[in-house]
Amino acid sequence: MKLGLVIDLDTCVGCHACAVACKQWNTSGTTGPLSDYEPYGKEPSGVWFNRIRHYEVDEYPHNKTINTPMSCMHCDDAACVTVCPTGASYKREEDGIVLVDQSKCMGCNLCAWACPYGARELDQEQGVMKKCTLCVDRIYDVNLPKEDRQPACVLTCPTSARFFGDFDDPNSEVSTLVRERGGYAMMPEVGYNPVNKYLPPRERPTAPQATKTAETNGSADASTKTQSLLGKWLQKQKSAFDSLGER
Amino acid sequence: MHPAPSVIIFTVTAGAGYGLLFWLALSRLAGLTPTISNGQFIAVGIIGLILVTVGLLSSTLHLANPKNAWRSFMRFRTSWLSREAVFAVLFYPLALLWLLLSGNAFLSLLVAALCIVILVCTAMIYASLKTIRQWNNALTPVNFVLLGLSAGAALFTLITLIQGVYTPRVLALTIAVIAAAAFSKLLYFSWIGQPAGPTINTALGFTRATVQLLDVGHSSDTFLTKEFGYEVARAKIIWARVIAIVVGFVLPLVFLTGLLGTPGIAHAALASLMVLAGVFVERWLFFAEARHVVTLYHGQQRT
Amino acid sequence: MNNPSDATTGLPAFENHSKQVVKTTTCYMCACRCGIKVTLEDNQVRFIQGNRDHPVNKGVLCAKGNAGIMKQQSPAKLTQPLLRKPGTERGAGEFEPISWDAALQMLGKRLKHIRETDPQQLAFFTGRDQMQALTGFWASQFGTVNWAAHGGFCSVNMAAGGLYSVGQSFWEFGEPDWDNAKYFMMWGVAEDHASNPIKIGLEKLKRNGAKFVAVNPVRTGYQAIADEWVGIKPGTDGLLALSFVHVLLKNDQFDWDFLTRYTNGTQLVIDAPGTSKDGMLYRDADDELLAVDLDTDSFKPWSDVSAKPALFGEYTGANGEKLKTVMTELAEKYLDEQYAPENVAAETGISAETIERLALEMAHVAFQESIVIDTPWTDWAGRKHDQFIGRPVAMHAMRGISAHSNGFQTCRAIHLVQVLLGAIDSPGSHLAKPPFPRHIAPPVKPAKPQGPNTPLKSPPLGFPMAPEDLVIDDDGEPLRIDKAYSWEAPIANHGMMHMVISNAVKGDPYTIDTLMLFMANMSWNSSMNTAEVQEMLRTKGEDGEYKIPFIVTSDAFHSEMVNYSDLVLPDTTYLERFDTISILDRPISEPHAVCDSIRQPIIEIDRDVRPWQEVLIELGTELGFPALTKEDGSAKFKGYEDFIVNWEKSPGIGFLAGFRGTQGEKSLVGEPNPNQWQDYIDNGCFFQQDLPPEHRYYRFANKSYLEWAASVGFNAHDGPIVMELYSEVVQKFRLAGQGLYDGPQPKHETDKQRLIKYFDPLPFWYQPIEESRVDNEEYTFHAVNQRPMFMYHSWDSQNSWLRQIMAQNYLYMNRAKGVSMGIEDMSWVWLESHNGKVRCQVKLMEGCNPDTVWTWNAIGKQSGAWGLDKDAPESTRGFLMNHLISELLPAQDGERSLTNSDPVTGQAAWYDLKVKITPAKLGETGVYPTFDTIKPLPGMSDSPDTLRYATHEPVNLVRSIKDTLTKGGL
Repeated sequence: MKLGLVIDLDTCVGCHACAVACKQWNTSGTTGPLSDYEPYGKEPSGVWFNRIRHYEVDEYPHNKTINTPMSCMHCDDAACVTVCPTGASYKREEDGIVLVDQSKCMGCNLCAWACPYGARELDQEQGVMKKCTLCVDRIYDVNLPKEDRQPACVLTCPTSARFFGDFDDPNSEVSTLVRERGGYAMMPEVGYNPVNKYLPPRERPTAPQATKTAETNGSADASTKTQSLLGKWLQKQKSAFDSLGER
Repeated sequence: MHPAPSVIIFTVTAGAGYGLLFWLALSRLAGLTPTISNGQFIAVGIIGLILVTVGLLSSTLHLANPKNAWRSFMRFRTSWLSREAVFAVLFYPLALLWLLLSGNAFLSLLVAALCIVILVCTAMIYASLKTIRQWNNALTPVNFVLLGLSAGAALFTLITLIQGVYTPRVLALTIAVIAAAAFSKLLYFSWIGQPAGPTINTALGFTRATVQLLDVGHSSDTFLTKEFGYEVARAKIIWARVIAIVVGFVLPLVFLTGLLGTPGIAHAALASLMVLAGVFVERWLFFAEARHVVTLYHGQQRT
Repeated sequence: MNNPSDATTGLPAFENHSKQVVKTTTCYMCACRCGIKVTLEDNQVRFIQGNRDHPVNKGVLCAKGNAGIMKQQSPAKLTQPLLRKPGTERGAGEFEPISWDAALQMLGKRLKHIRETDPQQLAFFTGRDQMQALTGFWASQFGTVNWAAHGGFCSVNMAAGGLYSVGQSFWEFGEPDWDNAKYFMMWGVAEDHASNPIKIGLEKLKRNGAKFVAVNPVRTGYQAIADEWVGIKPGTDGLLALSFVHVLLKNDQFDWDFLTRYTNGTQLVIDAPGTSKDGMLYRDADDELLAVDLDTDSFKPWSDVSAKPALFGEYTGANGEKLKTVMTELAEKYLDEQYAPENVAAETGISAETIERLALEMAHVAFQESIVIDTPWTDWAGRKHDQFIGRPVAMHAMRGISAHSNGFQTCRAIHLVQVLLGAIDSPGSHLAKPPFPRHIAPPVKPAKPQGPNTPLKSPPLGFPMAPEDLVIDDDGEPLRIDKAYSWEAPIANHGMMHMVISNAVKGDPYTIDTLMLFMANMSWNSSMNTAEVQEMLRTKGEDGEYKIPFIVTSDAFHSEMVNYSDLVLPDTTYLERFDTISILDRPISEPHAVCDSIRQPIIEIDRDVRPWQEVLIELGTELGFPALTKEDGSAKFKGYEDFIVNWEKSPGIGFLAGFRGTQGEKSLVGEPNPNQWQDYIDNGCFFQQDLPPEHRYYRFANKSYLEWAASVGFNAHDGPIVMELYSEVVQKFRLAGQGLYDGPQPKHETDKQRLIKYFDPLPFWYQPIEESRVDNEEYTFHAVNQRPMFMYHSWDSQNSWLRQIMAQNYLYMNRAKGVSMGIEDMSWVWLESHNGKVRCQVKLMEGCNPDTVWTWNAIGKQSGAWGLDKDAPESTRGFLMNHLISELLPAQDGERSLTNSDPVTGQAAWYDLKVKITPAKLGETGVYPTFDTIKPLPGMSDSPDTLRYATHEPVNLVRSIKDTLTKGGL
């Protein structure tokens, strides 16, 4: 099993719901608390597993705004795991989730250095590295209703821009989406084979337009045109009624 | 990358220590300092071990949770940091035995090799990171080894001069290794100056138009921006490079090659100080110039 | 797929479920009113998630909702009633604790005196209030007309524009048919009241392949995912909409049948300049509206089912009146070249090609991609239809339209586009939410003062239909402190809260004794002209008494307004009390379901605070409100909960529509149910009654629906709701301005001119008023603001999680424009308007109209408020645009000072602002202006330096040493 997320950049409005839901669940979760520093002070910050950034692609007036939630990609070739000297970082064989055993981490930051995606954040209060657990403490919890056994970010996403599932299963929703929508990995050239995939904004075909019926005769002045239209409508009135009642 | 003083001190002093011990071992094997006494030999060894120890202690200051530092031997199979830790710890009993046995040839060979191995391991911690192109290249371990050996050689020259066991071959080797280090470092500066690696476009998957950061999603610095978002003015970088080259390589070579008179203790002392200072600046640059790819997500156009 | 939840995991038990309990309630992190499930552990919140069964959010939850824990943890929570320390100045922030008994006694005594003498001496205004049915009821029972909520400075233009045109509007009134729309145009929306429903809906549109067009000067928020961004100049949306109308008419693209049957398009406008009939609709002797029957070529009542009414034509009335159908009037007006795309391109900043293309795209979807729903139905005239024909063009518009002084007419222009396309309450278009649609306008008139100890005859706010309904005295002067429903703002249906302090301090129209505020931050971000408002609150008369002698604030948090209060009554958080989201207010209904909801206490109260609604019931009983007391003066109700269950507006109709009847077996109408609260709680804290398929569309004309709606009290009668393209109501006010109205008329020339100019019975566009009065050569930029999604309508941006996302706002401007002016990214600039200046930091961006600058609103805080440190970025670098906005228009000679509002509705014109930008001098950094640091309140604990919130010790997932040593790297 290869668990991970698909994130739809076509529908993500950048609302930060997933990031806060993540914070909320995980601060009392298996690697909690997620410390906050200066929560009411000059430089409020803290540990987050999921951060949303906003970009502009292309220049005015062709610009498009893109919102990108980013959390651990649970890479197939996770260098954050291999560089870890203590073995605190590991990738579960059962499902591919990359985790940090909080009792073994020495806080050397090397895994964070190895991660291209900014997925790992040190909890300065505790001195250990923390990261997305893919809500391992939710997804397997049989005491939760089955439909709730999903990562908190996926549960909460108001635009259904987040999908959770098994990438090993070619028929899973995530695999299908990646196939059909051209899902891609971020920064693939680093070579870590991230499991999480992003769906690019959909390309819309040009919208059809109603046929122009306006007289193109530019010589007539505006009020003449108006009167000619009104005249047309006056003539049409009765016949228009004959079609009424048909619906 | 944030140039953490603890890590700079660690790599510079431990590097110099391993370099010094390497030369001590080599001198034993190659008979570079035939007149050295046992006491003098041990003294040099202790100086080297002190440097190494200061460096290693400094490195633990970098740990947020040092009580788990002992666990760092666990992942020898994949982690260069683990390998470095293992070798660094193995090094102590070996080195002490070596000193006690007054430089047994076999042990000398082992010590010399281990010094290089440890320098390589340290370098590979950085060089193995694909996320930082300024580190992720073959010149990184070459530099670490040559700079460690340069500092060690300058110190060895100085100490042997003081001890009166100096031979010109020591000086020749010192000059050679410093020159090699200078060449390697210049090559490195030129290498990292070439545009390469991921860009903000590939980072986000939008490669057909410009991509600019609109909002990073947090008002204050985070762990990520503090750790990776180190920004230095280009002019400062240039100055630092000039200082590193001039102080770390050019001036020591000037002192040691006799351009300012026959090298004596004063020359060697100045050269040693300068090499160390130069390497210190070089190491600061090594971090300050390193651009982690995560900064692309924070708005950098390229690394 | 391999469902992970099926796997035998061998994982430890991360949660101790036996210690946890899950309760439902309704979110109140903003005004969206989503259903939530709260998991509790030891009276602490473990997790808040969306309630999957809930009609509003269907299980999802936004960033605000997810940050509820930190609202509950806020160090800014008030802990006890407070009294301004005697001998200290208002605003100095010196308070002393006072007991609830003493506080209520003090307030009760004062209010009793006011009620016995002149009830209008109490002004009671509320902010993001979700119990306006209750607070309005309270004011009405007290006898003061001086009540309103924050709608007057938020979105009254949308409500009024819609309710006077199509009998519904946006948000609570109606929403896009997200499931069926094929084309969606969003106007002036950053984030919205309907936070989660819009997000849910946008995803549906995208999945279904609909086109999403966003009209907005700024491309953030929802505009990010729009298929097309139309970066319009602020305040010109009405012109764009009317240019769409021009293109549609010119190309014969309008729904002839829809207009004929369901609108007043066939009614006849009298052309009789200089008479009281001019512009009125032609009626017969029985006051029946007439139309021309094409078959007989004679006038027949519009409601005559047998007639074939003419949509076009000029006719002559029985007494020789010159008549034109509304549609003719309308066509002549909008076919004029002034509305041609090429003639509005410069003003709107949108190319003529784009305008024409968008209009024709909408027309194509409406008429070439129509949809049908095969459900038979009968219209008001008895005509049977076998299906609902849908024009799948949907729209949504809100603050960017509303907060301009031309917003009412702009909103009407947008509705006009919808009506021409047949895209109102037809499948795929814009659907009303019960109890809407309502007749134009709902039959509630604004209350007028009654005298001492007497309740008002209606709620303070209502819907004027003619000058007679204004709340003015015999001299035509305003009777309300905010001057709502006066000649200055005749259709000010949500009041004009933004004028209360300014008017009261000036004594114009009169002074008041007590100002009572509920969760309204009137000394900060909810006021225009913030710094001067603070000054006004401190202003004293010659007698040494404050101009507003007594200010009472109820709030749960240490807001800037608390600091300016004399008596502070601490409220509870939303997780600590009972609440109703009432059908009598603006309920949570969905287009196809009648819904309302409640809150229940989730967490035990740990400080000396009381729910404001409890306090209101207690005070009202003490004051002897007839609705709350028996003849002997004793209490009718045992408190808020009892009141909600047992009070009836009319027999069988109360605050809550669900679970009525003695056994909870009835809906909408039924006897009080003693177990109603529990029945709601058992149902997830909401009530939902789905409409049958035949009641889901065309409800303005759907016979069966209209009959049902009347039977359950939504509407006063079951006649059709005729959409008013042409507003006779508006024309009546114009006639009054012209001195032609047979009834009240304004005395002041200024009022006359405003009525003549702005009360056009057909939508029209005019330059926003402030813009028309400032030097646009000097003030070259439009300045607008918006709330970020994670804070919209949120009452606590001091929330420690949300403020990590944003604790400083920047001034955003178009990059190329900034570069051309030599303004650098992240540099500090001065931003000046006719009213003042601020210093702020610039960010350059692509997605911004070049003539517009904007910022995130209400990020800036007064130092020390909201539990924040004195050097929090909100007060050192964050800024309010409010300082630049005056509550009054720039003065003109020979004119009294006028409110900076829509002249029709009194809607605060926040977005009319024009500014200039100059780079700050070297070294000039940090925000300007700055304010004194607010002192902490007695009983408040210090804000922590670190937070490590968790409801239990973490259960770590341990990796065995064997695994560490033996497993490969991955």
